[in-house]
Formats: sequence, C-alpha cells, structure tokens
Amino acid sequence: MTDFSIIGKPIAMVDAAGKTTGAGKYADDFKLPGMLIGKILHSPYPHARIKSIDTSGAKALDGVVAVITGEDAPNPYGILPVGHDETALAVGKVRYVGDHVACVAAISEEIAERALELIEIDYEPLPAWFDPEQSMKAEIDLIHENRPHNIEKDYHHVFGDPDKGFADADYVHEARYIANEVTHAAMEPHCTLANFELDPHTGKLGRLTVWSSTQVPYYLQHKLSLVLEMPMSQIRVIKPLVGGGFGGKSEIIPLEIIAAVAARAAKAPVKITYTREEVFWAHRGRPRTIIDLKTGVKNDGRVTSVACKVIQDGGAYCSYGVVTILYSGALLGALYDIPNIRYDGYRVLTNKPACGAMRGHGTVNVRFAFESQMDEIAAKLNLDPAAVRRINLLKPPTVTVNGLRVLSYGLPECIDQVITRSGWLERKGKLPKGHGLGMACSHYVSGAANSIIRSDMPHSTVNIKIDRDGGVVVYTGASEIGQGSDTMTAQVVAEVLGCDLARVKVIAADTDLTPIDLGSYSSRVTFMAGNAALRAAEEVKKNIVSAAAKRMNCPPEDVIMRNDHVYKRGVVPGDHDPTAAEILEEKDAPRGRVDGQILRGSVLQTRKEEGPKQHMSFEEAVVSAIDFHGALTGTGSYAPPAEARGGKHKGGGVGPSPAYSYSAQVAEVSVDEETGEVRVHKIWAAHDCGRALNPVAVEGQVIGSVWMGLGQALEEEMVWKDGLLMNPGMLEYRSPSSAESPDIECIIVESIDPEGPFGAKEAGEGSLAATIPAISNAICDAVGVRLRESPFTPERILAALRAKKGMKRIEMTESVDPTAPATFREHGGSLWFRGKGPLRDPLDPSRQPSRASAVLGGKQ
Amino acid sequence: MSLPSFQLLRPKTIAEAVALLAEHDREVKIVAGGTDLLPSMKQKLFTPPYVLDLRGVSELRGIRDVAGQGVEIGALTTLSAIEHASIIRKDYSVLYEAVRTVASPVLRNMGTLGGNVCLDTRCLWYNQSLLWRKSCGFCLKKDGDLCHVAPGGKFCWAAFSGDTPPALLCLGAEIEIVSSHGVRRTPLSEFYVNDGIVRLRLAPNEIVTRVFLPASAAGWRGSYHKLRIRGSIDYPLAGVAVALKMNQDRVADARVAITAVNPAPHLVKDADAQLIGLAPDEGLAERIGEMAARTAKPLTTSALTPEYRREMVRVFTKRAVVACAN
Repeated sequence: MTDFSIIGKPIAMVDAAGKTTGAGKYADDFKLPGMLIGKILHSPYPHARIKSIDTSGAKALDGVVAVITGEDAPNPYGILPVGHDETALAVGKVRYVGDHVACVAAISEEIAERALELIEIDYEPLPAWFDPEQSMKAEIDLIHENRPHNIEKDYHHVFGDPDKGFADADYVHEARYIANEVTHAAMEPHCTLANFELDPHTGKLGRLTVWSSTQVPYYLQHKLSLVLEMPMSQIRVIKPLVGGGFGGKSEIIPLEIIAAVAARAAKAPVKITYTREEVFWAHRGRPRTIIDLKTGVKNDGRVTSVACKVIQDGGAYCSYGVVTILYSGALLGALYDIPNIRYDGYRVLTNKPACGAMRGHGTVNVRFAFESQMDEIAAKLNLDPAAVRRINLLKPPTVTVNGLRVLSYGLPECIDQVITRSGWLERKGKLPKGHGLGMACSHYVSGAANSIIRSDMPHSTVNIKIDRDGGVVVYTGASEIGQGSDTMTAQVVAEVLGCDLARVKVIAADTDLTPIDLGSYSSRVTFMAGNAALRAAEEVKKNIVSAAAKRMNCPPEDVIMRNDHVYKRGVVPGDHDPTAAEILEEKDAPRGRVDGQILRGSVLQTRKEEGPKQHMSFEEAVVSAIDFHGALTGTGSYAPPAEARGGKHKGGGVGPSPAYSYSAQVAEVSVDEETGEVRVHKIWAAHDCGRALNPVAVEGQVIGSVWMGLGQALEEEMVWKDGLLMNPGMLEYRSPSSAESPDIECIIVESIDPEGPFGAKEAGEGSLAATIPAISNAICDAVGVRLRESPFTPERILAALRAKKGMKRIEMTESVDPTAPATFREHGGSLWFRGKGPLRDPLDPSRQPSRASAVLGGKQ
Repeated sequence: MSLPSFQLLRPKTIAEAVALLAEHDREVKIVAGGTDLLPSMKQKLFTPPYVLDLRGVSELRGIRDVAGQGVEIGALTTLSAIEHASIIRKDYSVLYEAVRTVASPVLRNMGTLGGNVCLDTRCLWYNQSLLWRKSCGFCLKKDGDLCHVAPGGKFCWAAFSGDTPPALLCLGAEIEIVSSHGVRRTPLSEFYVNDGIVRLRLAPNEIVTRVFLPASAAGWRGSYHKLRIRGSIDYPLAGVAVALKMNQDRVADARVAITAVNPAPHLVKDADAQLIGLAPDEGLAERIGEMAARTAKPLTTSALTPEYRREMVRVFTKRAVVACAN
C-alpha cells in the first residue's frame, strides 16, 4: 500500500501550538503549593578528597528548609549497569570542577544561593588527570579506585584478517585525527521538580512524582528507585515538553536525583533548574577523541583493511562511555564494505565533566577521520572521491564482517543525488580560487538492537483506548523531545485506523499512565515505538473491523477504514462514481474538526431502525465495536528480531540495529587565504530514512543535524585549563548563528525498510557525521590544506596555510603544528595553556616538568 | 544564577539622575540597555545596593542633526536606531558599519550608544560566575591580586570590546558628561584609559549624556572590520575602523582606530601622516596595517590566539584602507 492518507504528508507537529505561543509547559513552568527552590554547591577542585562538610551555617539561615550532602543518598548509580560510579552528591571525593557536593532547598533562589556560601567544606586536593594519554599511564591517585590506569574500558576487536588485508593493499594511508570536545547546547537547561505525597495511612512520605526534562523517563524511574530505595511502583516520572535533548538528557543527570532527595529531606516539593554553566558541567557531550586511522586500499580505491585506534577523553564518570567507545568501533562497519577491521578503543577517565551520548553517538568523530582519509587516499591515487566511495558500497542484504545486518541501503542513491544536485562532476576542480567542494557519507542506527539493561522485555509498548466519543487515545512511553515523536505516533495510528488525525490524542511519557518505552535515544523511537504503535492500532482495528463487518453484513476483509469512515469494499456511498480515489477524497474533512460527531443515544436509536449498513462513520463503527466487544483497546509492542542483534564477541551488543539510515553530503565552501576564515555556501544533504512518514519533520531533522555538524566543524569547542572549562556559556561556546548558516538542500531518499513502520528508519542523527568531513574535504579542495583537527577555526586554517607555504608560522600552542599533530596539549584549547591557571595540587601532572616537556613536544 | 537584590532608582530627568548619583556615589551602577550590566550582576561581578535606570530620561534619547555643527546622539539611543538612521549611513559610514556588527539584532534593540561607549573591559578570566572565579582564583580586576593573563604582572589587560568607539574615534567624536557639578565636554580620544580596571575618565557621579559627531567628519569614507568566530552575537576579538576624507583619489585626512586588542580602543598614531596626500594602494595599505598591528597588544583575554588576532588587525586594516580608498 503506497496510497496513504496521512503517512508521507507534511504535517505540522501536534504540539506545535503550545511551543510557538508560549502556552506549552516545560519542567521549569511547573509550580506546586509550598514549592522550594534547590540550588547545588559544586566542587571548585578537579580532584579532591572531602575531609569534612559543615552545613550548620546554611541550615541556620532563615528560609532554608533542608541541606543535603552525599551521605543522604549514597547509593551509586549510572546509566549503564557496568558503570554505577556516580552518586547524587559526592561521597568522599570530588572528581571534576563542577561535581555536585551539596544541595540547599530554600524558599527562594536567592536565599538558597546565599546558603551555599555558608556551607564549609574542607577539601584535600589530589593530583588530577586532564590529558587522556597521560591519564592512561596513571599508577596512583586514580579517579576511581576500581579502574586501573584510569581506563574505564578498552576493547580490542579483530574482524577478518586485517594484517593480510594490509599486505594485499596497493597503498596504505595512516594519520592521526583529533576532534575536540563539544556539547549539546540544548535550548532548555535541565530542570526537575520532585514532590512526595503523604501516605494517607501512615502519614509518612509516600509516593514520589517527578517532572523532569528527560529523554528517558523509564530509566529515571529505575535509578530513582535504586538511589531512594523505593519500589518503582511508588515513583511516577512525568516528562513535560522538553526543549531539546540531543543526548544530554538521555541519562540520569545529577539534579534529577538530587531534587528527589532534597524533597524527601525538606518534606516539600523541590524544583531545581540548572544554570547554563551547570548544564555545561553536567555535560555528557561528545568526548575529545584521538583517532589513529590506517586504511589499506587497492589502486582502484577498494578498501582491503582498516585499523583504527581511538582514545576518548571521557571525563570523570562512566556515563554512556562504554557504549560510546563500542559504537566508535562498530560503526566502522555498515556504511561501506570493509572486509577486515582491527579496532582498539580506549575510554579514559579524566578529571573533567563526564562525556556521554550526543547526537550521532560514538560515530561522529571516527567518521570525520574515516571520510577525511577516504579523500586523502583519493587524492593520492588520483581518483574521484565519489568513485572511491562508490567502489566500496555494500551489497545488501548482508551481514558485515563485524556482525551488523544491513537490509535497506539507500546510500548509492544518496551519493547519486548529491553528485547530481551539486553539479559535482561539472564543477569539482573548476571553481574559482579559494572555493571548493567536498563530499562525505555517514550512517546511523535506527535504535540499538540490544537494550542497556539486559532483558527480554519489549523495547517499546503502545496502548490504545477508543471510547464511544470516537476519540483515539494513544498511550506511549516514547519521549517527545522536539523531534516529533508524538506527531509520528499520531500519524501511524491515524493511518492504520483510517481516522482523522485530530481524533488522535497522544498521552506520552508518564510512567503511571504509559507503558514502558526505553526512551528517546539512539534514534530508536520512529522504528521501535512506531512499530509498537502500528501493532497496537492494528489490534484495535481488527476489533472495529469485525464489528463493522457484522453491521455491514460482509466479510472482515471487505471492510475498509479510510478518511474517517468505514466502507464496504465495492460499495460506493451516494451517487458517486465508484473509483476508490474519489471515495477517499470525498470525505477528506479538514483537520482539527471532527465531522458528524454522534451522541451515543442517537446512534443506538438509528441502529434499531436500520437494516445492514453500506458504510459507517468512524464513530458509528467505534460504537458498534464497543457494543460487540465490551471495550475497545489494543496493545502493541516491539523488540528487535534476533538476527539483527549482532555478533557474539565481547561488546558485540553495541552497534547492531534493525536498520541503518544513510547520508551523503556535498559541501561548497570558500576560504579566505589571508585570514583563514571559511564560509560554507551550501550543503546538499541526501538522507535515506526508509520512508519519510512526515517529510517536513525529516527535513527539519536533517537540516538540524547538518547545522549541528557545522557547529562542530567550524566553531564549537569546549576549552579547558587545568580542568576548568573556559567557556561555560553560550557566549563563549559558539554554536553557529543564523548569520553563517548555509543554504541546506535536503534530499530525502526512501529505501523503504522491510521492517520499519511503513518502511521508515531514523532521520534525526545520521546526517550529522557527514557534515564535518564534507566541510574539511571542501576546505582541502579549496586551498589544499588537510585539517585533521576540528573545529576548523580560522586560526587553525591560517596556521595550516602558513605551514604549507613555508611562511612565518602562527604559534597556535607551543609546538603543536595543526597540520600534523604529533604531540598533544591538554584537552582542546589553543591558548589557555599559557595562562597561569588555578591554584592546584603541586603534584598535578600539569605541574610536572616531564609532562610539560611532553606537551611542548620536547622542543622547550 | 539570580540577580543580586538592589534598589532601583528611576529618574525622569538628567537633573534627577545626577542628583541621585551624587547622593549614592560609589554604591550605584547605571543601567541603560542592560545588555552589559545584567549578565555581570548575575555573575556577581557587581553587587551594587542601588541601580540607576536611565530609561525614563527621555531627553537622553534621539539623533539630532544640528545645522553646521554635526550630529548629536543621545546616550540612550539604541544601537538599532543608529543603524537605521539615514543620516548616519549617509554621512558617517564608519559608524554605520561598526554599529551593525554589535552583538545581534535583538541585543542592538536593547543596547545603547552610551552603554557601548562605556562598556566594561572583558576578559575570559573575569567574565565568569562567582564559583568559576573562586575555583580559578580571583583576579586583579575583581576580588584578587593576580593576573591570569600575564602572571606576575600588576596590570589588568582586560580588553575593551566595544565596536562603536573605534568608529567614533575615527570621526573625532566628542562626548558630553554631566554631574551635579555641571557639564563638561571632552574628545572621546581623551576618555579612555589603557588600563583594564580604570578604563574610563569618568567619575562615579558622572553620566555620559551625548555623543557629538563633528560636521567636519561628515562624508568621510569609512570601513569597519570585525574579527569574530560567529557571524553574529560575538564581541569583537579584534576590530579595525578606518575613515578617510578623500579629495579626488588622494587622502585629505585620515584616522585609523582599533578595538578589542588593548584595554582601551586606540587611534593608530601617525596613520594620518602616512596617508595624507597619497592615493592608497595595496602597499600603502599594508604599511598602515603594520602600524595598526604594532599598536595592538592582544593577550589571552578572549578566544583565538593573540598572534592570530594581531595578524588580523594587520590584514583587516589593510583591507579597510583599500575599501575606503575605492
């Protein structure tokens, strides 16, 4: 069936009105009687032992109701079962500047802030680790005692025979690439409101309700249960409107637990909203990544082998780190046909805020390296970069050497589309001086095939209830975070039931009301919750159809639900010409208004007087179905098929997905050779999303991904000085403004996945990774410098241009040549290194001469 | 971060304003558009008991063309009003170019010319939250006794980061300053102090009320070039203003000024002597660029390396001179 009535149509988001008028409620918009404001005290040290905490001064301040510290909720938790290394507030030790130490709940923000100043803490500073390559050598002063050498996790994967692959290669290319640290910068800062109800029988604190800006209400409910030692059934998590997540709300952020602990201590509702600076500290963004990549190719560009070593500067806690480092290796596969892969991944702990999941989780930085290297190889072998990509395409259906099953594969068409639209063949190499074109590809999972918490439970479940009013209420745990999950759910259900979209009301992400859904991360919602919604709607439909069949005196197969009506096959209502298309158009009522709503009594009355019906309104059919079946409900759930769950190797659970999205992009840039400034003129982005359920939403996601990639490519970078974030705000952490945002031409490629709902796959993440290398390849095309470190700031580009021309160099940092980074400074940062910086433990590695000389590349 | 509590003073006239200033003296901060002061107050860089809100003083608003004398701009005039004033665009193009680059359109609707002229100096080690500064160690400019930019030094290098002052310096602008003791008028070039802490020759009881653009500078060709990473929002990481009075293809008079690379905006000394009487070409523009680069003393007060920023002062000056000459 390709003749859809709602699927595939550009439809406004069902929650758009509240967001655009300001009427919509985000977590911070909620207020409860007697509500207190919580403020958190953060660590000023990157690594220190807490010798004592004295909260008596704060407690004595008028207006302060409760002050809590780590001892009030010492149970460790973490998003991954293997990484339960966090506590709500620090217990015994702080591990980064900004670590959460204490919380005050007071009657106003100002009083709470003043109370923080009265908390006295005696710290014993410890040597801290800032550079991951140094941190990996640590023997003492470990960040977590159970993580030797500060290595959170390392993996060493071999697929096929990489050595033989390199031996068979005609040419082997090897280089080091660095992608500096970036963060989500979602518009809405994190916010949580927690409230305990009194138990009517005991008078003690009973059930807990939490409103939180989260992508994962179910995991939050689970971790709250763990830390508060309460059964999950006593905890209700409600996700209001969320102002963007991008992965930054895809795990439990400390304030979410702290608010609940504070509410328990204060016996009053407590709301905490992070300042923007606190959002930067909570972080969970994309780690600075050092990638040593080696690729062997035949003379025609065919890849014979890939060896990749990745070091991720993960910050002070595990977070999603183990998954990130696994994605970085696993997603070397499933884009191109690579017969042999060696992967060595190191997730390293450092005394900085924890990195976690961020849009394109795990794949983005390695993709930057890989796609850059593809172009370097193409240049070396004098091949067209597009040809090198085409010769390495997969031939699906297939299972890659590292166990990833690929069914639908629109990459070839994506490449064709961007080549054609950008005029690649005619224009490449013929643009004016300083102008260039670059291309790159990327892909992403449509949900992880294996859940974080190992179990056989479905990944998504959706319930539907239809009552006599004809309203279709869909209960889904899927979290709308601005990506359009509620709209997608409504569309899928309306399409299956053939009803008006306005009938469908989506109740989402409230753990008391909605069935479990793992949440909005790894681009899983459309594929998994979409499939669950589809199945739930089909179950309901079956009951409506069977009742309607009886009323219309026909077999159920002949019942057609379409355009808010129920028809009997072959019978055309009224005097109309009996073509299906006209039947369907005739009843296409405007959205937002339900035609012919019938009261229950009148339906019953008419029915008594009538014989078998030829067609019915949706309400009539619903009433019949309820009369016949007693109630009209349906449930659908989704779990990925066993054959999509990946290989059996250690860590093989991360990377497999029921389907992969594909993207190909061409960027057109110009570079000012005197200043190093880059202007991106246009990006053509073709994205294979299976089927575009809502094309305008797909375009929005692709444009957003490209734009976020643009930020990482050119401007965004978290800069550190001895563990202190130099740019913890939206002024100095520079997400692109609209002024320099290029024209983005989004081309939707529909490969129609055999398992996706109506053939759909993910659209929200896969396009991000291609943008960074597309821009870097375009810069190289424009001015002949290969940038192996992002972001490509004007000074990095100018330094590279100067180095190429043998001109007077621009000193970026002491002895780091950005064109060939062989030695490394502390995480990010081109200039901070010379500042005096904060006072720290004298044994800090950054204070040691040996480290200094390593940083200076021995040229001091 | 909450705004620290304070008492808001809302005068309706300049006389009331200066009387209130005289009364509260050092305990008061003046707010006009608030785009500079309010974020800093949230960061607890200022915790004044009183804030004097000038927005009710309507006589401080507006652009007036005074026949034969030039143009007067009230200190409370918003940057967007200046941007959209045809006389500025026509006669004082360097100011037009500079004012359009300030922050973003939304901020220009709030920010005022007086605020931009009196902007606090900026430094990445200073414009941070209280906790950040505590963690780092306080600096000379606020609560501390050391400089993170130039360790060991006792001089504050926080950079003056306004966009309009270099343009105003190029135009030979003067400003009117009022206090309870009276009115004084001073060339803008004598208003700034090259010290990140002292900043301005402005007593705590004084208000900048008007900016005068002389008639003699009307019609000068102007160009402003701003270094920033984003296309909008950002403060300048370096900025160059050039204004040339042309007589056919020869320079009759000239001024070059730079911003964001020193604690004060500076006129480039002797740039006029180099330019007057000549028809600027690449080579001459290059020499002026080098003079400007020598005037720039950027340090690690902002993003991008000082080396790069100084280099851009050179390149931008060269380009601005060429742009004006053509």
